[in-house]
Amino acid sequence: MGVVDNIIQPVVDQGFENKGFVTTTVDALLNGARTGSLWPMTFGLACCAVEMMQAGASRYDLDRFGVIFRPSPRQSDVMIVAGTLVNKMAPALRKVYDQMPEPKYVISMGSCANGGGYYHYSYSVVRGCDRVVPVDIYVPGCPPTAEALIYGILQLQKKIKRTNTISRTS
Amino acid sequence: MSNYRYKLTKELAEHFTDVQLEIEESAHGVVCTVPVESWLEVAKTLRDATIFQFDQCMDVCGVDYFTYGEAEWQTDGVSSTGFSRGVNAKGPGRFSWHERRQEAMPKRFAVVAQLLSVPHNRRLTIKCYAPDEGMLMVPSLVDIWPGVNWFEREAFDLFGIIFKGHPDLRRILTDYGFIGHPFRKDFPLIGNVEVAYDEEKERVVYQPVSIEPRVLVPKTIRRDSRYVESMNDQETS
Repeated sequence: MGVVDNIIQPVVDQGFENKGFVTTTVDALLNGARTGSLWPMTFGLACCAVEMMQAGASRYDLDRFGVIFRPSPRQSDVMIVAGTLVNKMAPALRKVYDQMPEPKYVISMGSCANGGGYYHYSYSVVRGCDRVVPVDIYVPGCPPTAEALIYGILQLQKKIKRTNTISRTS
Repeated sequence: MSNYRYKLTKELAEHFTDVQLEIEESAHGVVCTVPVESWLEVAKTLRDATIFQFDQCMDVCGVDYFTYGEAEWQTDGVSSTGFSRGVNAKGPGRFSWHERRQEAMPKRFAVVAQLLSVPHNRRLTIKCYAPDEGMLMVPSLVDIWPGVNWFEREAFDLFGIIFKGHPDLRRILTDYGFIGHPFRKDFPLIGNVEVAYDEEKERVVYQPVSIEPRVLVPKTIRRDSRYVESMNDQETS
């Protein structure tokens, strides 16, 4: 299987056959389902969360990408760590992450979540949320713009499309 | 109305004849330093007396005067490359726990309350130094202004000032089980512990802090009150 760009027609000659069937690979179907409905956990910690709200609001409209914020970790696929993660919050963040069903992804949004940022030398701030949860995508910025966050989500979609769940060869 | 400060200063001096008040009037307002024994009595009078009627307490906070006025950057001695680099000595907060300065200092901690009188439309800052006799003990204002409850909890959490008579003096901001009072100037800025996830224990664990302290205050040169005086000296000499 080659690089998948169009998930509906992953391989060139697998379009509509003459009997009205669509053929695709299971991997492409799974990845299409995963990337097409990345539901993030609503987890705003600081000012980055405001920028995340902007991305979700009507102008940038994350709904177009199938990204709908969920109020429960049980219904979420991705957690956007938007803001400063402090020591007191770290066990709660990990608990929320543990409650999410597999497959799960983490986007670290902003300098503070990436590596402590402005508060790197503080006594109460976790120096990067990757000390607590495994991070898939780092979005730089302080705060990142809504466009930057959307770019990060698209990068995550690309990353998910690269994975093979069924096929072992690639 | 805008310049009530002179009148307020006069009224304070006239009203509190039996209490040793230090009243300081400036463009920023009136600051009244109260002996800790009279703290409650003065506060109650300020709230109830008709000429004061400070019916609102906007904020209560602690102050640590340890290392007061010490800067991280030496701004004297200009060279062609600008001012000097960050000072090497252990500046405020820039040390690890075992390197912290331990000096006795009288009048180190203070409690400051900001009062507002709506009927008279004026403000007053009252301040008292916490006596350090093994424990920093200041009477709680919670019976006079109930809203100061959490302010005093915050001052207790960050400075370790104990408010006598407070109904629920617990930590309010810092982590559960946090040790130390982080706004004290002998508390290292980098702290003593940091957290990380332990794969084996499957929980977030505390570890000793792994980073080194460093100069954090950006080098900013301003003509503010701290430098204007020394600049004038240089110009005249």
